[in-house]
Amino acid sequence: MSTSVSSGMLLPTPDTRRLLIKWVVALIVPVVVFTLWSGESIINAVISPATAAGNVPTDPVSLIEAAIFTVVFYIAVLLLAGYLVAADTGRRSIIETWADVLIFAVVPLILIILFGLIIGLALCAIVWPLYILIKNQIRKARHYTPPAPLESLTVIDAEQRAILAGRATAGSFWFALAFAVISLVVDLVYFFSGSLPVILLIWAIVRTIILPVAGYFLGRLAGQIALRRTIPEKGNGNGGNGAHRGKRVASVQQQLEALSTTRVREEAKDLVPNDLPLRSSGAQRFYLILLVAFVLFYPVLDPFLFGSGTDGRLAGYGDAGYYVILALGLNIVVGFAGLLDLGYVAFFAIGSYAWGMIGSTQFGYITGIHVNPQIWPWFFWPMILGAALIAALWGVLLGAPTLRLRGDYLAIVTLGFGEIVPIVFLEMDKYTNGTNGIVGVYSPALPGVDWSSSTPYYYLILALIVLVIFANVRLRDSRLGRAWIAIREDEIAAESSGVNLVRTKLFAFAAGAFFSGIAGAYHAAKLGSVSPDNFSFGDSVIYLAMVVIGGIGSIPGVIVGALAVYAINVLILAQLDSLAANPNNFLYPVHNAIAAVFPGFTFGNIRNLIFGVILVIIMIYRPEGLIPSARRKRELRHAEGDEAVEIGSLDVPPGAPGFEDEVRVE
Amino acid sequence: MTLFLQILIVGITTGAIYALIALGYTMVYGIIELINFAHGDIFMIGMFVSISIFGLFGITSSASPPRGFALVGILVVTCLASMLICAVLGVVMERVAYRPLRNAPRLAPLISAIGVSLILENIGALWKGVSFVTFPQIFPQITYNLGPVTISSVNILVLVVSLVLMVVLMWLVNNTRTGRAMRAVAQDREAAALMGVNVDRTIGITFFIGAALAGAAGFIYGLQYGSSVFYIGFQLGLVAFTAAVLGGIGNLAGAMLGGVLIGVIEALASLIPDSNTGSFGLPHGGAAWHEAVIFAILVLILVFRPSGLLGQQTPEKV
Repeated sequence: MSTSVSSGMLLPTPDTRRLLIKWVVALIVPVVVFTLWSGESIINAVISPATAAGNVPTDPVSLIEAAIFTVVFYIAVLLLAGYLVAADTGRRSIIETWADVLIFAVVPLILIILFGLIIGLALCAIVWPLYILIKNQIRKARHYTPPAPLESLTVIDAEQRAILAGRATAGSFWFALAFAVISLVVDLVYFFSGSLPVILLIWAIVRTIILPVAGYFLGRLAGQIALRRTIPEKGNGNGGNGAHRGKRVASVQQQLEALSTTRVREEAKDLVPNDLPLRSSGAQRFYLILLVAFVLFYPVLDPFLFGSGTDGRLAGYGDAGYYVILALGLNIVVGFAGLLDLGYVAFFAIGSYAWGMIGSTQFGYITGIHVNPQIWPWFFWPMILGAALIAALWGVLLGAPTLRLRGDYLAIVTLGFGEIVPIVFLEMDKYTNGTNGIVGVYSPALPGVDWSSSTPYYYLILALIVLVIFANVRLRDSRLGRAWIAIREDEIAAESSGVNLVRTKLFAFAAGAFFSGIAGAYHAAKLGSVSPDNFSFGDSVIYLAMVVIGGIGSIPGVIVGALAVYAINVLILAQLDSLAANPNNFLYPVHNAIAAVFPGFTFGNIRNLIFGVILVIIMIYRPEGLIPSARRKRELRHAEGDEAVEIGSLDVPPGAPGFEDEVRVE
Repeated sequence: MTLFLQILIVGITTGAIYALIALGYTMVYGIIELINFAHGDIFMIGMFVSISIFGLFGITSSASPPRGFALVGILVVTCLASMLICAVLGVVMERVAYRPLRNAPRLAPLISAIGVSLILENIGALWKGVSFVTFPQIFPQITYNLGPVTISSVNILVLVVSLVLMVVLMWLVNNTRTGRAMRAVAQDREAAALMGVNVDRTIGITFFIGAALAGAAGFIYGLQYGSSVFYIGFQLGLVAFTAAVLGGIGNLAGAMLGGVLIGVIEALASLIPDSNTGSFGLPHGGAAWHEAVIFAILVLILVFRPSGLLGQQTPEKV
């Protein structure tokens, strides 16, 4: 990186110019696609609600939410542009970056526009592995070796810091300018063809002025963000290896030196500058902001994005939510503590029946107390906790007999409880109404909220998921969580180190059951009924599949796994037939072709077949799950390579010349 | 007392079928430590194969069954064909879904097994429909009186076939070269490989034998009960797996004992009276609760003997 210092934002050096072209083009394509698809219609609806399309909400609250989303979205994108320009070493080729962005951002967008969110993402899940496969083949054929990854561990001095900051500003500014110009041209075309009202033209001009200014200031902010991820120089410019290292500098470097090579690579990925800025944790933070904004405002955005039918889609996502909670709960038992639980559905059933029996007229039949249906639904809020505690209690009670058991004996006993509990609910019909289940379970109550639509449930489950994720992360990092992981890895070693096996295991069962109790109470309230058919061994197996497919022990993995399995099983496979009935859908000819060979063919008939094949394929190609936990990834790599080099055994410290040659053993 | 003995006979007959399925579970578990959830579905496929082969011979539930040597011949051919097809299916399953995962994390093959189970179930449903299918009752139903209790010819056939298969299996495992290889691989796969055992082939043979037993179980289950449906394999498979665990998983004699015990417990459970009509018992009678009773007893036994009835308490390696 031999860039000269000041070159001004408008006349960047050739190096910077290359980076600017690379990232401005890479980002502008998806952003323009998104804007033309619905970003524009959202803004237009906010600016002049009168001209908005018929099916979009135009009440003030929705419009404010939509406005907040757009502002957050475009700010995050401008920041991202600046950050990426600053964070790139520029060693990877432009074409490769553009191909990556095309496949991982533009293609999904187009597929989602064409086929809807879920089917679009599912198609992406087919496209992405193919792309990676092809890319790897091409690399292999061209004998491609990635540039040495440790370059970025070099210390950045003041001069280079200034360059980085300048590049970030330039990045955001140029991106904003390009975007403003493109939007203006498009709007002018619309205006002169007569389909743009004057108020929107005024807005277009205002926007053209605002955007570059915003770009400049956001770029400076992006520069600050990027600089925070560099290895800074210590106080008096004495290089990185001097004897008077600053405290903070030393700690970053020493930490890196103390880590294994694998870890060094992982850490290097997060530093600025690096070769793959799109995958660095700095960029991931922006993706997270975009994702959170999207998820938070989704109910308002949905009509803009996908047209009518919002309520049904939201209901589907709300159901997916309790699977996320269940998978997270099961992850504690199976993923953290390593106790294979094949009867997790028992606790879900207990949670569901807890609110089902208390929050409905069934409570009156059982106890003889007449409940007031106006007041009683309020009881839902404490009963979320109540159902969770009841389930946790049963987790302890059912976990206790399994304490002496190991491995699959434990699995079969949990399976046994998973079978017994639903049978008890089914046959004790005096209390549970047997096979008919309990109907008329009350929805939660909250003033001013209409629980007959899906939106409140969407936000309820979102809030619950956030709570559960928070609890899971805190549990994982707590003393108890470390004890769970210790008994998973080696029970005897853990016990010898002072881990109380009985207590730790029982807490694992209790914590797992606690979360399924929350999911159960939500499930009963949302469905409005509880039926014993919902709790079979097959359901336990599905929850386990979510955990394993996502990546056992990894919280983001389990969330993705739950959403993926639910989407495949319920949102896609269950709806193939109705999709194929629509002549405009790409499945229509497929269905007809198969039905010509096998008369009477429907996708419903082979739903489990497809699901089974998907399970087997995912497991064969990704046995460690979609997003394995960092610890497991390291373990697996260790087992494969068994040549893991510890830094301590090397003669050359990382970063020094020659280090790479010594490390490259994989 | 008569009732008790009568129910005991029913229990032992059912138990023999459970034992045959449980053997497949326990063999596979013993050798690769995998709960093969698809095993029960292979049993179901075996049943459907038998029905189809009967159809090839022109035997349906309405046609009059042949007698004499023709009957014996058809029965033997059908049973062997069902065993063979299931065995091949088992080997294919191992090759496609489990072998690539042999060194994967422990739960990956479990999910893969569940996937295979879903696939087989769906194939069964596509093949014979989603409702109950009748299994032609071609074996003459003769009832013998043994003192106060009666036993039917089908029960005797079931018992004889299972006994013969179990004896053959025990001989195969204990007295042949292949059996020795299987035991060696089960004890220590790497050491066995170093001693010249072809591990891949031995595991394949284990699946072959286990699936063949499931095929035979499917055949005699059909003869005994006369009808079946595509999802029955998974349910029975669960019970059979429980039997394998009860006896001590990985232990052949344990699987047989466990199977018979579970059969007897299940039959006895149906004696529990209905508490809605009497003062004592369970709501809707014991039959509705039989699975719960089986699992409750399993839990009780495992609490006191954590490795099953005949399983060895392996000392923990440190």
